[in-house]
Amino acid sequence: MRFHRRHVIKTGAAAGALLGMGMPRLARAQDAGTIRAVMHGDLRVFDPIWTTANITAYHGAMIYDTLFGLDGNFDVRPQMVQDYGVSEDGLTWSFRLRDGLGFSDGTPVTTADVIPSIRRWAARDGAGQHMMRRVRDIVAKDERVFEIQLTEPYGLVIDSLAKTSTPLCYIMRRQEAETDPNEQITTFIGSGPFTFNQDLTQPGNRYVYDKNPNYVPRDDAPSGMAGAKIVKVDRVIWENIDDAQTAMAALQTGEIDFMETPPIDFLPMLEADPNLTVQVLNTLGNVGWLRLNFLHPPFDRVEARQAMMHLLNQEDFLRATFGNPQYFRTCGSYLTCGTPMESDVNMDWFTQGPNPERARELFAAAGYDGRPVTILQATNIPFMDNSAQIVAQKLRSIGINVELAASDWGGVVTRRAVQAPPAEGGWNIFITWGGGNSVASPINLSGHAATGTDGWFGWPSDELHEQLRDEWAAAPTLEARQEVSRRMQENAWNFVPHLYLGQWVAPVAHSARLSGILAIPEIVPFWNIEKSA
Amino acid sequence: MTAYLIRRVLATIPTMGIVAVFVFLLLHVTPGDPAAIIAGDNATPQNIAAIRERLGLDDPLWQQFLRWIFQLAQGDLGVSMFSNVPVSTLIMQRLEPTLSLALLSITLAVVLAIAAGVLAAWKAGRTLDRVVMGFAVFGFSVPVFVVGYLMIYLFAIELRWLPVQGYRPIAEGFWPWLRHLIMPATALGLAYVALIARITRASMLEVLAEDYVRTARAKGVATPPLLLKHALKNAAVPIVTVIGIGVALLISGVVITETVFNIPGIGRLTVDAINKRDYPIIQGVILVFSLVYVLVNLIVDVVYTLVDPRIRY
Repeated sequence: MRFHRRHVIKTGAAAGALLGMGMPRLARAQDAGTIRAVMHGDLRVFDPIWTTANITAYHGAMIYDTLFGLDGNFDVRPQMVQDYGVSEDGLTWSFRLRDGLGFSDGTPVTTADVIPSIRRWAARDGAGQHMMRRVRDIVAKDERVFEIQLTEPYGLVIDSLAKTSTPLCYIMRRQEAETDPNEQITTFIGSGPFTFNQDLTQPGNRYVYDKNPNYVPRDDAPSGMAGAKIVKVDRVIWENIDDAQTAMAALQTGEIDFMETPPIDFLPMLEADPNLTVQVLNTLGNVGWLRLNFLHPPFDRVEARQAMMHLLNQEDFLRATFGNPQYFRTCGSYLTCGTPMESDVNMDWFTQGPNPERARELFAAAGYDGRPVTILQATNIPFMDNSAQIVAQKLRSIGINVELAASDWGGVVTRRAVQAPPAEGGWNIFITWGGGNSVASPINLSGHAATGTDGWFGWPSDELHEQLRDEWAAAPTLEARQEVSRRMQENAWNFVPHLYLGQWVAPVAHSARLSGILAIPEIVPFWNIEKSA
Repeated sequence: MTAYLIRRVLATIPTMGIVAVFVFLLLHVTPGDPAAIIAGDNATPQNIAAIRERLGLDDPLWQQFLRWIFQLAQGDLGVSMFSNVPVSTLIMQRLEPTLSLALLSITLAVVLAIAAGVLAAWKAGRTLDRVVMGFAVFGFSVPVFVVGYLMIYLFAIELRWLPVQGYRPIAEGFWPWLRHLIMPATALGLAYVALIARITRASMLEVLAEDYVRTARAKGVATPPLLLKHALKNAAVPIVTVIGIGVALLISGVVITETVFNIPGIGRLTVDAINKRDYPIIQGVILVFSLVYVLVNLIVDVVYTLVDPRIRY
């Protein structure tokens, strides 16, 4: 066998051409018609009902619409719904869809699409499940009118349909909406402001959205997730740039237009750049959580959980990761500070500051026997990594034996589901965070449930808490909900379902050429944005 | 030779089989649950359990293994648990950027390193030799991400000559393709310049001390043909070996380079898949990597026969 250079060159050229065929071709678009954005994470799953990942909720907001939307003042407004009403006994909610609504494939939106969409969403969502326990039936009256018939009055029907915490109640075509909720849909066609361009999308690299020519906007002005979602560019591309340093450099050189989560320590540099704008879109931000495992010592005892309240200082955690106080605040309220549900009931432990001696006494009262407290430490996420180390140090300082179980976040989410004792693969503490808007609702966030081993990781159990959650959901007015919130907080800071590690906002950075970005809790919208030439 | 090649190609089948078993077992004993990651942070344990069941992750390990091997035997690498996209499609989309980066890096490295190594050997012990060897130590010592960030700062942010990140397929034109690869290929190739230059120098020094080189010199052969025709050709076998190893090492080196320069290659695909425990992608990519290693070794063995006619199979 003989090899000639000519053959090698020919073979190489042919291979190159062949491989080139595997790459989707994307027209270069540095023009005013295209926005390139780097979001907080990779869009791993495309079905916004199948996962609770925030990035998939953003993706859903691009291509689907909702029946109701939260406006910029957190008020619920009709979106796909034209008008609605509730019967005098509070048991029947009627909804009429807007005239002319259509999916991007040209088919009309009817109640045959809406009802299975509600059912599929409710099967996966905590708030949806809470509502459906009181739903007798959802019936179509005609193609545009449907009813939700209840077994008892429920105050959160439209709030649940409008909520922005994941998963949102997006309206899909009947064929997708009838998919098993535990199975991912494979076709992504909605009636939202954008269409998902799967031909140009490359999973893990870029996700492409085009303006939906069939979108029918409302007449009223855009506000939050409500109003007219008018798209003012032709295309939005989410570039998945893993490395924050590279993304920031790309923003500075104009290769990208928008970066959702620039590192806090680089913000002064970005703020000083006249071509860039730094702004806070989600003013409620995020709330850091420390979950305690109710199933095993020492946190099966309330004294040990109360000890943690006297041991930890939120500011330590916030400073360690976010540095600049401009972007964080401490908060002792059980439901997010800055919302109507904020309360100052039963907060002596917070206002008086840390008291390690008291914490030591409480651990002793809990019968702490020296066994290691296992803290799950997600080393690839700075807030979780730093916070786990601070908690470990604080516990050690009062004589508690601590074991840090380091892994990536993927390892933590697996181990936190283990209900066995820590020595057999379980755990005592893990750290995460939730959106401020979600934490403000005792119903929307799975972590607020105190239903024991059926509930969210940590498995707190408290009958009064569950009763108060139901009362909160049934409360007919804001004032009534606030009153229940206060009682809920009184009880929560006695039995301690979990602890908070402070509240922070994450500013976005974008090109000064972009204007009209709307502030929506927990969703980053790309409608209404203009890009100047 | 043909019989040898057929034997070697056939030998890849059991090799890949062993790799497949190891990859599968290794992944499934590593902590991590794709269902928990898919479900997201707000999901309840019941949601996660339902997804796990739907993905077949509750089935006994042997059943999952047989299912995968059966698919593999039909040439099907499976689909991503997250995006539902076939693994073969994902790999094909990512192959061109990685091969482009690896080939450009190794080409730069070979051209620069052989020239530098030959010159260093020719001027052994003198200033040029020390400069080349000093550069080699530097190239070996500085991590690729440091070089990458420094280059981005200088050439992209300050001078605005080159783009910070991204990749353009060669089908969109040679210059856009090259513009996006110059910095990553240089950053990645630096370590290999150092490695190959050192081996070239050492091998050349050995050959330059041979009798036939002295004879050629005595017969009046000029320096360039003496170095390139007489010495380099005879010093080539260890250099080819190191280039072969370099190509294999490059495949792992591209992971960091692809991340720093945001190149959508196989390295990033692998890291992303590992982070989210997307088993079908990890398994598929490792099989492809293994195949590339085996093929590179085979090519190196064949190249030996071209550079040294004494070698026969």
